[in-house]
Amino acid sequence: MAARPSVLRAAVRVSRPRHSPCNFCSSQHTQQLFSTTPRNQHPETASRTTTPNSHSQTTTPPDDAVRHGTTHFGFQDGLSETEKTERVAGVFHSVAESYDRMNDLMSFGWHRIWKDHFVSSLNPGLSSSSPPKPQRILDVAGGTGDIAFRMLHHAHTINANPSVHVTISDINASMLAVGKQRSLTLPASQQASLSFLEMDATSIPPSLIPDNSYDLYTVAFGIRNFSNVPAALAQARRVLKPGGVFACLEFSKVTNAVLDAAYKRWSFSAIPLIGQLVAGDRDSYQYLVESIERFPSQQEFRRMIQEAGFEVGGQGYEDLTGGVAAIHKGMKPL
Amino acid sequence: MAPSRATSRLAAAALRRATHQPQPQHTFRRQLGATSHYHSHDHPPPAGDFGTAEQAILSAAYRHVPEHGFTAHALSLGARDAGYLDISTNLLPEGPFSLIRYHLVTQREALAPRSAAVFQEGAASSLQVPDKVERLAWERLLGNTEVNHRWQEALAIMAQPTHVPTSLRELALLSDEIHHLAGDVSVDPSWYTKRGSLSVIYASSELFMTNDRSPGYGETRAFLQRRLDETSKIGSTLGGVAQWVGFTASAGVNVLRSKGVRI
Repeated sequence: MAARPSVLRAAVRVSRPRHSPCNFCSSQHTQQLFSTTPRNQHPETASRTTTPNSHSQTTTPPDDAVRHGTTHFGFQDGLSETEKTERVAGVFHSVAESYDRMNDLMSFGWHRIWKDHFVSSLNPGLSSSSPPKPQRILDVAGGTGDIAFRMLHHAHTINANPSVHVTISDINASMLAVGKQRSLTLPASQQASLSFLEMDATSIPPSLIPDNSYDLYTVAFGIRNFSNVPAALAQARRVLKPGGVFACLEFSKVTNAVLDAAYKRWSFSAIPLIGQLVAGDRDSYQYLVESIERFPSQQEFRRMIQEAGFEVGGQGYEDLTGGVAAIHKGMKPL
Repeated sequence: MAPSRATSRLAAAALRRATHQPQPQHTFRRQLGATSHYHSHDHPPPAGDFGTAEQAILSAAYRHVPEHGFTAHALSLGARDAGYLDISTNLLPEGPFSLIRYHLVTQREALAPRSAAVFQEGAASSLQVPDKVERLAWERLLGNTEVNHRWQEALAIMAQPTHVPTSLRELALLSDEIHHLAGDVSVDPSWYTKRGSLSVIYASSELFMTNDRSPGYGETRAFLQRRLDETSKIGSTLGGVAQWVGFTASAGVNVLRSKGVRI
């Protein structure tokens, strides 16, 4: 976190036009400015993430045809998927240490309630048999362990099922390091049921995670950063057992117009400012709010989940706080 | 039947418009299910409320209700019986309440074949609409027999604020179903009062039934009949009062006219 030329970047932000997404993404000038910033900031991150990670190097690399598609980064369009992966890595590398503090400030601590509700609604570890059946949970993009620790607590303490195992995976080693550090405060039995995995969720090598091996796949506030969401959903379907559940907690579209106006005002004016003041990093938080804005609506995302081959029940999603966030669930059919 | 034909025509027209929009079939079906609150002769009732996997888990779990109640445990047992994992119960967005809704929906849907059987054997034509309503409400109450000892728990869950709208909607659908099957064709404001009063009577009879220990729930049936009689008495009393007020008013006007007042 030390000695970052944030003043320079703040100046860059000020010179940047502030208007509708379309004008924004067509501006070649800002694209060039922005693309150089995170990469020069963390050359070590960039060099690590541009090459496939250590696990996939040993196996056949994922099909290159899929990887050449273009995607977007915040309000900017036309980026290659590797470039997005790289930039997201840059963003999360720079926010890793202040991540929890920033989450509290941005959501007034409310993200804890969402996460608690997410975990208790999933009810991990519930089993009708005695002794309880083991469960394997994969928490994707769960670097700092927020969801995984809650899962373990719910399964071990509330549902009295000690044979629940959680794998925390993240593409970003910095976030995983924070999670590892935090996991040291857990009870020993819970630490023993925890493992860490550095991988790209859009192309999980079968040698790393075989087919049909997990009961539950969760991703909380992560999927909008993926360079290729349909590919990640396909991977989720692959690694889940038949009957396994895909669950996603993600920012979504506010349904109430008045609340939406207030929410937009807050996220586009206040959050980058808080990021600048507290974490000393405005660009990362500008990206955060832009990526929230770009993420598909509840109905669209439900359709994507269905198209990936999951079965959804009821209306397929649950709105939290008027749609600021939403929980989507899908089940892999038998 | 809707309060007026025009309303159902409008609904049918809106339906035709909606069909042209490129919308996935299942979402469309759900929306239709959510918007039609009454029986219509113009278009068929929406298809089932539950998907195939939901149906499989719920029907298996429903068999565990008499022993384990409307609980997550019963759901999990049902998921196992249907060949799913414990975690698969997450497919049901409302948890144990889904099981209650399954009971309500299946019992309501079972009422139509039931009514056909009941009114076929007896002299159906001789029965008046109120008698048929009483008989059908009783048949529906008998549908609770299996789970009666668990029904107070279910009522408690249904009374939770998040589930109240769905529960009330199911109750409204049930009383509409009963009136529809009884052959009620009213298109005046009594369409609402009839359904409203039947909803209240049905809900209170259901509550009475949970504490009824008499053989064959005879007490419950007597309770149901007393409440229905009271409604018809209140209805005829109100009608009498209205007639008297109308007569007195017109007589008063005529007296004034005879005195030369220009009314």
